[in-house]
Amino acid sequence: MKPSTVEIKKMPSRFKHQVPKYKVTRSDACINCGTCAKTCPYDVHERVEGHNKAKSPIDYKCIGFECQDEVFYCVAKCPRNALSLSLNPMYATLGDFRWTADMITGTWIMAETGYPPQRTDLEYNVGNSGGGFDKLRFKFPAHPPQVDKSEISTAIPLNRRNDGRANVVISTPVYGGGMSFGSVSLPTMVSKARNATIWNTFTCTGEGGYPEILQAYDDHVITQIATGLFGVREETVQRVKIIEFKYAQGAKPGLGGHLLGEKNTESVARMREAVRGYPLFSPFPFHSVYSIEDHKKHIDWVKEMNPNALVSVKVSTPNDVDMVAVGSYYAGAHIIHIDGGYGGTGAAPDIAKKNIAMPIEYAITKVHNFLKDEGARDAMTLIASGGIRTAHDLAKAICLGADGAVIGTAELVSLECVRCGNCESGRGCARGIASTDSELADLFDEDWATQRLVNMYHAWNVQLVEIIQRFGMRSVKELVGRTDLLEHIDYSHETESAHNG
Amino acid sequence: MPKKYHIHPKATPLDLEYVCKFKIVRGENCINCGKCTKVCIYEAHKRRKDDPRKMADPNTVVCRNCFRCIQECPRGALEKSLDNDFTNIGGAFWKPDMLISLWKQAEDGKVPVSGAGYRGPFTGTGFDSMWTDMSEIVRPTRDGIHGREYISTSVDLGRRLNHLTFDTNGQLASKVPDTVDLSIPILFDTPVDNLISNVKVALVKAAAEINTCIIMPAVDITSDVEEYSNNIIPCLAPTEIDTYKAVLKKARLVSIEYSDTVLNDFPGLKEKIKKLSDALTIIRIPAMKDVEGIVAKLTHSGAEIIHIVADYRGQELNGSAGSDRRLLKDIIRAVHLRLVEDRIRDEITIIASGGIAMAEHVPKAMLCGADLTAIDIPLMIALGARVYEEPEKLLILPEGLAKIPLPIITQRMVNLMAAWHSQILEMMGAMGIREARRLRGETGRAIFFEEIDKETFGRLFKRREAVSV
Repeated sequence: MKPSTVEIKKMPSRFKHQVPKYKVTRSDACINCGTCAKTCPYDVHERVEGHNKAKSPIDYKCIGFECQDEVFYCVAKCPRNALSLSLNPMYATLGDFRWTADMITGTWIMAETGYPPQRTDLEYNVGNSGGGFDKLRFKFPAHPPQVDKSEISTAIPLNRRNDGRANVVISTPVYGGGMSFGSVSLPTMVSKARNATIWNTFTCTGEGGYPEILQAYDDHVITQIATGLFGVREETVQRVKIIEFKYAQGAKPGLGGHLLGEKNTESVARMREAVRGYPLFSPFPFHSVYSIEDHKKHIDWVKEMNPNALVSVKVSTPNDVDMVAVGSYYAGAHIIHIDGGYGGTGAAPDIAKKNIAMPIEYAITKVHNFLKDEGARDAMTLIASGGIRTAHDLAKAICLGADGAVIGTAELVSLECVRCGNCESGRGCARGIASTDSELADLFDEDWATQRLVNMYHAWNVQLVEIIQRFGMRSVKELVGRTDLLEHIDYSHETESAHNG
Repeated sequence: MPKKYHIHPKATPLDLEYVCKFKIVRGENCINCGKCTKVCIYEAHKRRKDDPRKMADPNTVVCRNCFRCIQECPRGALEKSLDNDFTNIGGAFWKPDMLISLWKQAEDGKVPVSGAGYRGPFTGTGFDSMWTDMSEIVRPTRDGIHGREYISTSVDLGRRLNHLTFDTNGQLASKVPDTVDLSIPILFDTPVDNLISNVKVALVKAAAEINTCIIMPAVDITSDVEEYSNNIIPCLAPTEIDTYKAVLKKARLVSIEYSDTVLNDFPGLKEKIKKLSDALTIIRIPAMKDVEGIVAKLTHSGAEIIHIVADYRGQELNGSAGSDRRLLKDIIRAVHLRLVEDRIRDEITIIASGGIAMAEHVPKAMLCGADLTAIDIPLMIALGARVYEEPEKLLILPEGLAKIPLPIITQRMVNLMAAWHSQILEMMGAMGIREARRLRGETGRAIFFEEIDKETFGRLFKRREAVSV
């Protein structure tokens, strides 16, 4: 259920045009009769009285080939056969294997409307990566027990240790990933925090410090302590409910944070107590942690500083991620946050993104099972990130064994990120999301961005509730570790003989 | 501690006709309002110099695919698509993006860095079907890339003893064989036949600068490269040994092409070489079926170094175009395992090549069991060459290559290796390994797709059928 603070409002794109999937071509045979303009309910065609030529069709508004069966199909209606419909070659320049153009477009629609797209021509739930989540499907029962949507809870507790510390419950099993001030703009950070407050969940500061302006949202901000210790202060540690140690990041496991010099602007440098214009590399690893015992000292240290806060440990996904997770349990962490190899970043070596550490799908299963075997699973909250792109990924991650997920890229895509991957260079993001350039960081206002995030979280929640309902369940907690509800499009049709006796 | 090994990159642009990924076309409905010049932060859109009332054609070389001009043009007059040159280049193995990345690395010598997460497929074939491990908390990483810890990429080539023996007085009785040390686990292999002179000299100079060697047909070793004989490995057939006496005499390593004679009488061959030179012998074997059997047999008969050569896409050479050809990753694993089973792995040095195309392939080949790798085509790509796989292998060198000054082409190769060296350090650092020799066969630091996917999803999702025994 969504918290009462959540209010859905339509929040259109800040740009004049969207990236079109289809192309509507008008040939010279057009006589400017205006039939198409009258016919099309989506305003693809526009005819201005007095102009002797019709305007070019507005491609992005076209719903494509599914229109063929409609009575208002312009191509069929045109008396001169002057119109034709094709796939727009532009669409091939948007997106990639992991985030397809359909998935980006679908997320934009969610951020605009607050609901999953009504269009049937977009495959926005799975990507085209050919592995992991993209090969998993839900096995919905044909006749599930009837459950009313209003009875379904998507809330999860984050403190499962029963240790007298804050009982933090989030209303939807997903929160915003750490993005430092410097890697993203202040409006991006603030809107993430406002959305977290509205949704009764969290956002994370990343390792670039805790801007004053976020104080209003303290109860929904996780402050991060990463290897560079940029902007880590006692007072910020003391005023939050969750403190996150970032040991590693999925996109660049084994490497520290990386802020190129050009993005280290005046304000960023002040926050990080660094010199403007110089690249900032966080070391790797924490040079004070070379064992679980050292790790425990770290956790004890912040627990001492803030007696009520929960401690989250963010790690990457090496072969022994299960051992690390159990170690974190013994060290006293509340949340083990595993960040898979295909996770997001503001800047990382391409070689690291592609090659180092395992994808999150394997790591969730590994950690979940190992914690279970060690009898520690019920005392830990397992959060997965690094490649959770859609509500379906989220639900699949939970079925594999996570309690919830952290998302980053999906939030940015809601703010109209196109995943061009230039966050790191020059002035940063050309679209103003991941930039601290004075001009670019002002490209959108916080109200717009907050509502887009609220809408996207809502669309995800709608999808998640629907999945839970189709399984006949009442809580997202019932989904955890239910791999029997999934099938794999390669393996599920293979049979393996198991010998009895 | 020895002096830190470092390759010095220097920005070396070449005026090449770069392939652009995108093509932006300005439609006729453009009203020359200039909005695109304001929104593009990469300056792809400018007004015409000769007539500022009109817009110039978009400069797509600088386009970074941000879509702002597309989305903000008041008339929707701009159209973007993938450039045909881009989509046609390369092939299934030499992907267009890979070529663009290699060109860039040769230009600036830097590790390619970008924003946002990985964009490629979940897994692939060959080396793309494995990930490397990283360490945290319980196994610390090594911070090599920023120089805070020294990570050595040195490897040595030569025969090694299985164990040492001592006489009754406790004195070393074994004769320890000579080895050749290289600072980086990458040899150069002559990339094309009939090298033009400045490219040949550049290859040799670049190899010398980074302290490695180049394997070169003995016939090409002429007076213009004589001074670098320390860094040249003459390559010849066993029958040509007498022809190239002079070249052999100066060499530290010699590469002998594999033949049945070599297989049947390695000691005889070695004896013949020894009379002329102290050079260590590399046997160059095409990666054919049962190459592991041949390698094992040669190792048993005393071979020192074996170089396994796959085709330019890292595939086994078996004459037919069948799809059952093994890829370099699996060939190396098979050879390594065979030698381990025979308990002779430590005695021999294995070089792997063919389809070593990106920095990550080097440590991955080593994790699979190679001691080092050799590269060829990337050295040409560093000079702006384009590879095509369809309809058949084609390497197109940039026009006017012969006129480009030697220092520039040398530096481009050095830059590429500087970028690769830094990337190898990144991967080794993440693994927590500070000694390249330790990568060999260290499959515990690798994650193989076929294994982990079966262990995880196969176990969970394969339907099990009960079979009563």
